[in-house]
Formats: sequence, structure tokens, C-alpha cells
Amino acid sequence: MIEIRWHSRAGQGAVTGAKGLGDVVARTGKEVQAFALYGSAKRGAAMRAYNRIDDKPIINHEKFMRPDYVLVIDPALAFTDNITENDKETTKYIITTNLSKDELISQIPELQDKKDRVFVVDAIGISLETIGRSMPNTPMLGALMKVSGMYDLDFFLDSMKRVLAKFPQKIIDANMEAMTRAYNEVN
Amino acid sequence: MAEKVELNEIEVWDGNYAVSQALRQAQVDVVAAYPITPSTPIVENYGSYVANGLVDGEFVMVESEHAAMSACVGAAAAGGRVATATSSQGFMLMIEVLYQASGMRVPLVLTVVNRAVASPLNVRGDHGDMYAGRDSGWVQLDAFNAQEAYDLTLCAFKIGEDMRVRLPVMVHQDGFLTSHTAQNVRPLQDDAAYNFIGDYKPHDEMLDFSKAVTYGAQTEEDWHFEHKAKQHKALFDSKEVIDEVFAEFKKLTGREYKRVESYMMEDAEVAIVALGSTVETLRVAAEELRKEGIKAGVVAPRVFRPFPYDEIRDALANVKAVCMMDRSAPMGAMGALFNEVSAALYTNPNRPVVSNYIYGLGGRDFSVEEAKRIFKEQKAHADAGHLTTPIQQFSGVRGPKLGFFETKRS
Amino acid sequence: MSKGVLATEKRGIRELGAEEFVGWDEVTQGTVLYSFETEVKDVAHIRPEERPYSDFNSYTATVASWRVIKPIYNRDVCIDCQHCWVWCPDTSIISRDKQMLGIDYDHCKGCGVCAEVCPTNPKSLIMFAESEEIEDALAKWPEKKKKAK
Repeated sequence: MIEIRWHSRAGQGAVTGAKGLGDVVARTGKEVQAFALYGSAKRGAAMRAYNRIDDKPIINHEKFMRPDYVLVIDPALAFTDNITENDKETTKYIITTNLSKDELISQIPELQDKKDRVFVVDAIGISLETIGRSMPNTPMLGALMKVSGMYDLDFFLDSMKRVLAKFPQKIIDANMEAMTRAYNEVN
Repeated sequence: MAEKVELNEIEVWDGNYAVSQALRQAQVDVVAAYPITPSTPIVENYGSYVANGLVDGEFVMVESEHAAMSACVGAAAAGGRVATATSSQGFMLMIEVLYQASGMRVPLVLTVVNRAVASPLNVRGDHGDMYAGRDSGWVQLDAFNAQEAYDLTLCAFKIGEDMRVRLPVMVHQDGFLTSHTAQNVRPLQDDAAYNFIGDYKPHDEMLDFSKAVTYGAQTEEDWHFEHKAKQHKALFDSKEVIDEVFAEFKKLTGREYKRVESYMMEDAEVAIVALGSTVETLRVAAEELRKEGIKAGVVAPRVFRPFPYDEIRDALANVKAVCMMDRSAPMGAMGALFNEVSAALYTNPNRPVVSNYIYGLGGRDFSVEEAKRIFKEQKAHADAGHLTTPIQQFSGVRGPKLGFFETKRS
Repeated sequence: MSKGVLATEKRGIRELGAEEFVGWDEVTQGTVLYSFETEVKDVAHIRPEERPYSDFNSYTATVASWRVIKPIYNRDVCIDCQHCWVWCPDTSIISRDKQMLGIDYDHCKGCGVCAEVCPTNPKSLIMFAESEEIEDALAKWPEKKKKAK
């Protein structure tokens, strides 16, 4: 079982990202779960989304999770939200930031003993340059593919094309570029 | 003619989306609704299917849930296939009309996304609304995940519309835990789903002017009792049709439903009885405990009304300790599930130690760890041969330990 | 009719005078009441007295005994304006093709609304004592009233 926790602001697309990931994973014969926890949601409020991935049907419905991956798609939440909550010795972090990895870690005490498990990508910057608006969810998925090695990039992009099929071609192309850049730039 | 939709063999759907697809495939004629969190997407999606020509139906906007259910009863009495959705406060406002629907024996379907009842206001899942419907005369089916919410909604039409039943049916799922959790769902294609349910067969429909009927007659003490007795019998007798529909569904899909679901009960020494998504989380805990040598099992009524007394009694025939977990504030009593199951067990020569937990109110998380702790408490009762705690305890609430009602021992 | 609604003690039922009513097993499903004994095509074009009304329908019950006074109809003065037909709360004015025929005395409760709304001078509907013979009433029908100047 792989467990993923997203830290996001309502409106940044964490739920869509989690469900999109679920769609891709389900196409490969795996079982998925995607859900979210938010208060009486308004855009901008901090919220969390979750994925579980397994080879057999997922029957655990607890919200409690010890994540294998923590995906932070809002730069400020890395500082204000408890992103290391319930983590494990092996939990990997992918954090959206325009800072370098060292700059970021130096400002977040909780991450200082986990340096080799922290990865950074400027998902906001990439989405602004490719999609034209702040939509860090799909680039984050590109970065996750690189860090986790879950699927190779071509297979993943091909699957995401089908997930995004309801959008105009221009948007699909921009998302493909965003995911490819994040895959290559995450470090 | 409504356009058909080609579905993937495996879709990733949340419970709400799954149910709205079932309503589309059933080609529901009328949905009258006053949307409320967390069930809003069910009727919202149906509305978009109507607008986009994916269903030949009518979406009726009304000014309250009371009006929504009233319009549904009217449309059902007129002779259409009818459904709607609600939760929590909306359910409470519908209750008066729920009794009208069952009393008039109209087979409409209400998909309930279970949510806590105010005050204090809360949008998350518990079973307060579901429990408030338990005397309303409806068949109540309970789904533990999105796939089951879809499957049981299809079954609900077929059960309620059967001429031997002709009763309204509720399909329950847990707010957010099921309604907003996307999981793998294996849907039927449109034709297979529709053919499973079949064409709607009107009965005593008001729009048949050659056979004029009056709905909603007044009966005083000379007639009322007889009508309620007939209705009660119809609800109890519906179990045979429910079993038939589940059997037919299994033939079609391979997915098996029973009025009481049992997991690892063959040799279970201790068991927990629960409803909703918790049932699955309990299975995770029971599997882990079996590795530790505790023979744990899980029993869950798939059908809350008519309550499956015989099957519950049989499922728990050999356990030494069993607890019933109620996700609803019982307010001055034991939980409803405790009361029903205890009544069933009292007819057994072997009477296990019984207790009651109140848990998960207002969407409070129910973890595998807590489930294991409760199983272990049952094991302690079993080993002692008697209850070692108060009969009713609260699980997962802050503050001093809370328990009520002690066993009297000499 | 099923006998023995309750096997032994009928108290509660006997006091209602309901011992001979059918039991739970014979009442209609959903308390639905059927208006007619048989199927009726095009019911709007069949006269009420020719429709196969069932015992469930209030047409088969009479309220004649409720009356203290009754309306008597005078064809000679009537202009077939249909006011009485519209206003009667018990559909007891019999009118065919907009022509007034008379009173349905089985369902008229003697409320007097028809006489009140009748616009003719003298009125074509007048309330008389229940015991009044129609011929006698018509014989003493009032004259046209002159407008006061």
C-alpha cells in the first residue's frame, strides 16, 4: 500500500490532482482511493487530500495516515502547516517552492534531519509559464512520477491525456508541458 | 431517446457520482430535489444529464426538502419512476412525507448521504439521519463504499417496484467517507443496468383516468390500524424479494450481497456489529488481530429495515462477546443497533456478552487502532465470561471516560 | 366480508360498530380508494348517474337527511346562466350542455348558496322547508319585483 498526503489550498486542485492520479493508477489494474479533508471550504483555506494505492481492494476508511509521500502544492503551507505530521522514516516530501532545496530546508527546522528525502519543484512557476495560471496540481504529479518512479514519463503523460480529455487541446498540451518540465526539474 | 454513455470497465468514482450514474441508467422520470451537502452532486449531476439529453426525465426545483419529497410522492403516485437525494437537516424536513410515501406504497428511491444532525451544525458523516428514518416504513439499504452505493441504487429500484413489495427504498452511504471518496468502481453498461431493473410498471397510477383512484385517504380508529398492519407485513415480507434481487444481481455481476454480511465469522470468538464504511475498517482490524491470535469477526446488516433478526442471530450464534457500534447519539438510551441485535440474540440459547459503543459522531475519525482496542475489550469480556465495562461506552470522545448502564450480577 | 376480525375479544372494534369491516389482509394497498367498480373510458362524457361509482366514492353516499331547507327550481324564470352550477359546493346542480335541469337531492345539503347567487327576478331557485311539495312551491312563486324609484 502506498499512501500519499497532499497539502494544498482549496482551489489549487489537490482533490482534482488526487483523483487524476487515481484515474491513472486505476488504468494499470491497481486499486485506488482519493479523498479530501476540508473545513467549510472557501478558496484559499488550507486543506488536505489523500491517496491510497494498493494491489487489492482498499477497505480501510480511516482518515489517519502515515504517508509514504507528502506533496505540498502551496509554498506557504510548507511553513505554516504541519507537513511532517505522522510521517515515517521513509516518507518523501515534494514541496512547491521557488527557493533552492537548501534555502527551504534551512527555514524549516522539522525537515533538517530529512534532507535526503526532501525534493523541491517550482510547480507554481511552471504552471504560470505553461498553463498561464497558478495550477500546481498537474506539475506536482509529474514531479511525483520522477521521485517515486511509479510510472515512466511517456506512459504517465499518455494516461493523463485521457484523464484531461474533456478539456480543450490547448489546455491539454499546456498540462503535458507542465508535467514534463516538473519531471525534469524536480530535485 | 436519451443518448447512451460508454463507460470504462473500471471507473474512479466517488459515492455521489456512482449514485448519479445509477439514476441516469435507471432512466428516472422525475427527480424533485432541494440539494444539501454532502448529497448535492447526486441531484446536480442528474440535472446535468437531463440538460444534456442523457436521460429522458424531469428535474423539479422546489423550495424545501419537504416539498421535494412531496413532489416525489406525487410524481410516483402519478405513475413515474422517481428518485431524489438528501442528507441531515434535509432528511429531517422530509420525514413527515417519508411516512406518506410508505403509507401510500409508492416505490420511489431516496439516496441518503448520511450526515450528522444539528445542533451543533456539522456537515460530516454520522448515522443520525439514517436512524431517524427507521420507523418511517421504508426499506433501508446500507452501502459501505462507492461500488456498493452504485450497486444498491440499481437494486433499490428493482426491489421497491416489485409488485410484491411496492414500497419506497432508501440507499444509505456515509457522508464524505463514501460520498466524496473516489475508488475503483466497476459499473454496468447502460443497457445491462437498465435491463436489470426493467421498465417501470405503473400500479394504481393517478394518470390512468379509466381507473380513477384517490391517494391520501383519511382513516380513523375504524380503519387506520388495519392499513398500518398491512404495511408492516409488506415491509417484513420484502426480504424475500430483496434476496431474489441480490441473487439476480450476483448472476449479472458476480458481486454478492446478503441482508446480513459476515466476515471471518466461521470460527469467531468475538465480533463487532456496525454499519457503513466502518464495517470495512473493522475488517482491516480483524485481519490484523487474527495474526495476533484473536479470533475476531465482523457482522453488518446490509438491510437496516426490514431488520434481519433471524440472520443476525444466526451470524452471531457462536460468539462469546459481541459489541454493537452506533454512529448516532442515542440520547438517553442504548444505541438502536444495540437494541435490535440484542433483541435478536435474546432468542438464542447461547447468549454472548453484549455491549454498545457510541463512536464517530460528526465525522470523528474511526481508526484501525481504535477498532483493535475495541476488539480486545471484547476478548477480555469473553475471557472473563461477563462484561468488564459499562454496557454502553463512548469511543473517541475527549474528556473523562464515559460509560452508562451496568450489568446486574448476583 | 371476513368474520372474526379479532379471534376472541372484540372490544375496541365492537364499540366502533366495525366488527363486519374487512381485516388488514383485505384492505386496499396504500389505502388507495377506487372511484369506480369497473374501468371507465372517457369519464368526462358519462353522466354522473351513469358512472359505475364504487362504494369508496362519496357519490354513492347521500346527505339528504342533513337538510332542513331545500332549494326548489323554477324552469320558467331560469336563464341558464350557470351561476348556481359554479357555486354549488356539492356539485348538486344538474346541468347538461349549459342547460339547467334541476337539483341532485341526494347530495344537496340545503346550504342555500344557489338561491343566494341566482341573478334572475324573481329568483329561479328559492329555499323552502324540506317538507314543502314542489308543486305547491311553484304555485306560490313570487312575482317580479319592481325596482324602487
